[in-house]
Amino acid sequence: MIRALGPAVDAPADTIGGKAAGLVTLMRLGLPVPAGFVVDVAAGRAFLRDGQMPSGLEAARDALGVDAVSVRSGAAVSMPGMMATVLDVRGPVTPAVREIFGSWNTARARAYRTLHGIPHDLGTAVVVQAMVYGDRDSHSGSGVAFSRDPTTGAREPYGDLLFGGRGDDVVSGRAVTLPLPVLADREPAVWAELTEALSVLEKHFRDACHVEFTVEPGRLWLLQVRPGGLTARSAVRVAVDLAGEGLIDRREAVRRISPQRLRAAAVPRLLAGDLLARGRGASPGVATGRVAVTADRAVRMAADGPVILVRPETSPLDLHGLAAATGIVTNRGGLASHAAVVARSLGRPAVVGATDLLLPEGTVISIDGTSGAVVRGNPGLTPAVADTHLHRLLSWADDISGDRSPRSGEERLAAAHAKG
Amino acid sequence: MSDVLHVLRCMGFAELSRIADAVGLTEGETESGLIDLAVDGLVTREMGAWGLTAAGRAEDLRRTSAELRAAGAAGAVESAYGRFLVLNPELLDLCSAWQLRSVDGVAVANDHRDTAYDGRVLELFGDLDRRAEVVCAELAKALPRFGRYRERLASALGRARGGALEELADSMTSYHVVWFQLHEDLLVTLGRPRT
Repeated sequence: MIRALGPAVDAPADTIGGKAAGLVTLMRLGLPVPAGFVVDVAAGRAFLRDGQMPSGLEAARDALGVDAVSVRSGAAVSMPGMMATVLDVRGPVTPAVREIFGSWNTARARAYRTLHGIPHDLGTAVVVQAMVYGDRDSHSGSGVAFSRDPTTGAREPYGDLLFGGRGDDVVSGRAVTLPLPVLADREPAVWAELTEALSVLEKHFRDACHVEFTVEPGRLWLLQVRPGGLTARSAVRVAVDLAGEGLIDRREAVRRISPQRLRAAAVPRLLAGDLLARGRGASPGVATGRVAVTADRAVRMAADGPVILVRPETSPLDLHGLAAATGIVTNRGGLASHAAVVARSLGRPAVVGATDLLLPEGTVISIDGTSGAVVRGNPGLTPAVADTHLHRLLSWADDISGDRSPRSGEERLAAAHAKG
Repeated sequence: MSDVLHVLRCMGFAELSRIADAVGLTEGETESGLIDLAVDGLVTREMGAWGLTAAGRAEDLRRTSAELRAAGAAGAVESAYGRFLVLNPELLDLCSAWQLRSVDGVAVANDHRDTAYDGRVLELFGDLDRRAEVVCAELAKALPRFGRYRERLASALGRARGGALEELADSMTSYHVVWFQLHEDLLVTLGRPRT
């Protein structure tokens, strides 16, 4: 079945997919979303069953009245990066929708579902929208914006922005992005609209959230919204702050942090320092050392103390350097890259996709393989127990359980959860 | 006979035992080959590991492209490389799933205590390996030296199935390391930069 996207659509994510459900929410809140329609999950299942395409597809596409459309997948559960996306479609849209339905069954997508316990017959919806262009001119752009810093939990918008580029360039890590607040200087009206939208969305979800957006000259478009997306330590801070702001109560704040998250939050992390770059944490742990820019140099320099190997990306020719280094940084590549797999196999902390890091050999840096932070010098580690937000959350947990005996944080949390 | 120079080109710096295993010769035969190459200034030995010199890399490039031309195999290797690139992200996903698990949205090291989970990953590895076998066979048909990768991959998977958990993604003889070298070999053979 095909439904035009609009505030009146009353269907859950199970029916229209998570992406479309998020877009409907954005529209209900009066936020700017490109016009479009969704081909629902049932249609996706019908295609998987007998190859049949839904009727009315081209009529719905024509009704949009635009030259070009974007065509994206959107299942009820998130399967990031597993399925096809077709951008800038002119003419008939049926082949693109067929391609995306079909991409449900690539070997890679099947393996992902098997690992994550997602049924193979679930199927995906497809969202077709008027194409918006972040690469139109220097006043255009694309980005990802978090309502709060996903690493620290600080209450300030955080994200990446690419002027004159498309969203897929931002997400892939191919292009060098700018920190989101640059938008405040370059396009103040768009910045004001975006930060207001994030604030509206937080109130709606009663949680931190993040959006993908595109800017056409003077005009903001939101393309996706999701709640959450925080690291463990920031999740603790955000839960406590949201209770302080009155968006949730203390019981809810305690409920949101699982014992697993608490354990992860207790892992020591780099103190905020002179941030040189932020990539993605690919192999957990913290390391400090002098920068080596080739594997051979890493091997030689390692004789005189710890070395951080910084490479554009890695090849087998870097393996001896990876083994000699204390930590690893790559400019390109993601969490499932050769470099990330090798770093984990060696137990070395690693940050991947630190696109804008370019340092002279010998510079002392520290890296955090959880948060993805790369900082100058050695700022030291966060003390595991001195986190005021963590203390406050656990004291609320004790209020709920009525038990103040000395126990581990995980036990205190579990006791509160048992009381509901 | 496999070419010691080219095998080492795709491995980086390595100890004799690893090179011999990759080439498929005894350590004695391999060392003899390495010494000849060292006399010609093509390889060097530092801190216990052998690696190519700049001259060695240039010579390997010359030999590899001449071999590809002589065999008329560029088209076949190119098309097999295209199929390899489809499998590569899946292989990296599986290695990552073997090393890390998402517990309540938090990535933690896989402690391998959940045998059902490990079994699922291993089964998916087996499935991928069957498709990789087809690609390796195409490559070996075009250039016989690629046949050794098939043996090494199958051997790594066999060891992992036999309980050597580090042989999928976490040792220097693991399935991932052999795959990584195959990736490098394809790039070198086709004269592509790593992008």
